[in-house]
Amino acid sequence: MTAKSVPQATGLCDGDDRLVSADEPLLGLHLRCGGEIPGTIAIPALLEAVRKSRRFGLKLARPIVARDGSEEITAWIEVEQLPDGMSRITVRHWHARMLPAEIVDAAARQMQVDCDLAELHARLDERQTVLTAQAEASDLQLLAQSMLAAPGRPWFEMVSIEGASPGQALHWRMLHGATIKVNGSERPWRASLVPHIAEHEAPVGFDLYLTSDIPLPPSVAASGAAPRGDGRLIGRDVAPVLRQPIARIIANAETIRTRMAGPLAEEYSNYAADIAAAGQHLLALIDDLADLEVVESEDFSTAPDRIDLADVARRAAGILGVRAREQGITVDAPRAGEVLPAIAEFRRVLQVLLNLLGNAIRYSPAQSQVWIRLSQEGDMAQVIVADQGPGIDAAQQTKVFEKFERLGRSGDGGSGLGLYISRRLARAMGGDLTVESAPGQGARFVLSVPIPPSEN
Amino acid sequence: MNETSRPAASIDKIESVMRTELAHGDALIGTIIPIMRHLVTNDDSSVFSEEMVARTRAMLEHVAWQLLVAQAEAAGTDKPHDCSREDVAALLGLLSADSLMLAHIHALAAEWQLTERLHARLGLDPLLSPLLQALIASSDATTASAAMNLLAAQARFAQTQRRMQLPLAELPADLLHAALMALRAHFGPDDAAAVKAERAIASEFDESRGRLGLMARLLLSMGGGAQAALAVSHAGAALFLTALSLATGQERCLTVLSTNEAQVARLALALAAAGLKQSAIEEQFLAMHPDVSLPEGFDALDPDHAAAVLASGAGYPV
Repeated sequence: MTAKSVPQATGLCDGDDRLVSADEPLLGLHLRCGGEIPGTIAIPALLEAVRKSRRFGLKLARPIVARDGSEEITAWIEVEQLPDGMSRITVRHWHARMLPAEIVDAAARQMQVDCDLAELHARLDERQTVLTAQAEASDLQLLAQSMLAAPGRPWFEMVSIEGASPGQALHWRMLHGATIKVNGSERPWRASLVPHIAEHEAPVGFDLYLTSDIPLPPSVAASGAAPRGDGRLIGRDVAPVLRQPIARIIANAETIRTRMAGPLAEEYSNYAADIAAAGQHLLALIDDLADLEVVESEDFSTAPDRIDLADVARRAAGILGVRAREQGITVDAPRAGEVLPAIAEFRRVLQVLLNLLGNAIRYSPAQSQVWIRLSQEGDMAQVIVADQGPGIDAAQQTKVFEKFERLGRSGDGGSGLGLYISRRLARAMGGDLTVESAPGQGARFVLSVPIPPSEN
Repeated sequence: MNETSRPAASIDKIESVMRTELAHGDALIGTIIPIMRHLVTNDDSSVFSEEMVARTRAMLEHVAWQLLVAQAEAAGTDKPHDCSREDVAALLGLLSADSLMLAHIHALAAEWQLTERLHARLGLDPLLSPLLQALIASSDATTASAAMNLLAAQARFAQTQRRMQLPLAELPADLLHAALMALRAHFGPDDAAAVKAERAIASEFDESRGRLGLMARLLLSMGGGAQAALAVSHAGAALFLTALSLATGQERCLTVLSTNEAQVARLALALAAAGLKQSAIEEQFLAMHPDVSLPEGFDALDPDHAAAVLASGAGYPV
């Protein structure tokens, strides 16, 4: 037998399950699981033991098993209630071993399933504030709308999280897998957070997925999205009906592509990838057509507000940053601290900038750069998206803003509607969208919107 | 129309009620014969053997009795040890409503049965297994004293099992809590003596002093050396069962149940999931089920696959 003395660690926990102090290695595990000091115990098995000990009024002693993503820790814990309402935790016999790859794979697979079946997807920044959100299910439309209407607010303030008090700032690891109640939906939801991590540093952003094990009742599902004005055939009638089957096609194609149900020949996996890509294209097209209908309707108007164009530009760059990096393209966004006030609708400006930036990334050569610059021309504030792509000649420059204009391109996922919609949006906000370019010189798209009267 | 249809409707209704009742009766009859066959033809190894049922009931009664005595002592009664049969029976009813309690106590009876069987067939000491002996002789004072404590606890266990008893202090905290809740339900929440008894029992309780806790902690302190406890004839039934449950993450009572003849697949999978080689698994079977052999090709299952198959089993319905 090994003859070494047993290292032991102690921790103190208050009456609300908050760990107020802890020795290593307990402290490290608590922090790696997403806990803080002081903060709710983040090690599930330990939290359960502490709660039981307090509820039973008994001294507990038992082995626990915990995982922190790469290691599995086995330890002996003792929990004792102190007279002042605190709980003392003693940890002995700490053993850590690397998790077998299969378990790590299984977690990744679960994540893939969550992504494919998610009924709400939101892109968050590093503080978990919402950049963009999109809901598939009708009972999540309300949440998606409030997310879009209040960008800059953390998503967890807009839902209620089981086991957490409202308004509490929460670490993403503690929210991952949490059960959530959403206003307007009867169903229980599970949150999955996928961090975007740049070279072992803290996450720079997250994808949030909401999934539910309970399908939407057919009657509710059929009622579709919020009603809009008459005559909007696609947005009101066609899009909700098409979205669901197409989403299913994409999800199933992704299942086949990733070989989740078993081994499959490479060719078939590639076909499935094509099916998924085509499905994505169809979904984007439906979104575009619905938007087209909206911007072309007579009663279309935007909800202008005081916004900061620099902030919107930085968010757009953040949202598409991953895609740009994948293509080897550097996006040079306005620096933090730069400010350019304007009067426009946040969501619409973001939509236009995402479209411009998306195009720039799509049509730029690898290892090139895309700049987002701010300027002020008279009483107009401008955002300029400039790329090093092939450029557009004078004849084409008038045509790019036309409906369904693809400039001879095909098969790259574009609908030929993006720039048309973007210009309509810009003009509806009292601004404009223009382009300056020459073949071989790249393109500069300029979005201008009014600046607030006081800034004149 | 209405005049004639009303009696027809009520006949329909009573017919449907009677049909439902009859179906309930049928379902019960359907279970009588298999249970009866099981009870009548059972041998000593059955989970429903008369011995097992008697032991389980006796231990439950002992738990109930201790709770009643504690209440009577708190109330200052003259003869606290004289509990009425009715009280014991009522409290036993409350306790056995808790399926975890029943599973735990039934598993203790099964563990003792396995211990005695190994003693009879292999001459394995119910108290002092070769492994425990080696641990007591350890040069590390902490290990040696933990092993001594375990030996004392195992001796108490053997003694109480022979008497078909189960001291409250040996219950896991969850089950002691359930027992105290049963006591509270029996006397009502306002019974001062019951509340006092509950406090006294809770303040004396320390889960780490129980036999199950001592075993788990001793094995954890051994780190990788705990693998040595995965040989039943070396570690003895008690340590073997705890080690197997720690290695597989299975509840200990389910692990105990897996040593039953009708659960050989669960046992084989658990041993494989714990990382034992085919030859080592065969050794365990030779000790516990000498007439059972592993299916052809079982060695193809690596620990991860065995664990996955094991996890697909349901275990106790909760």
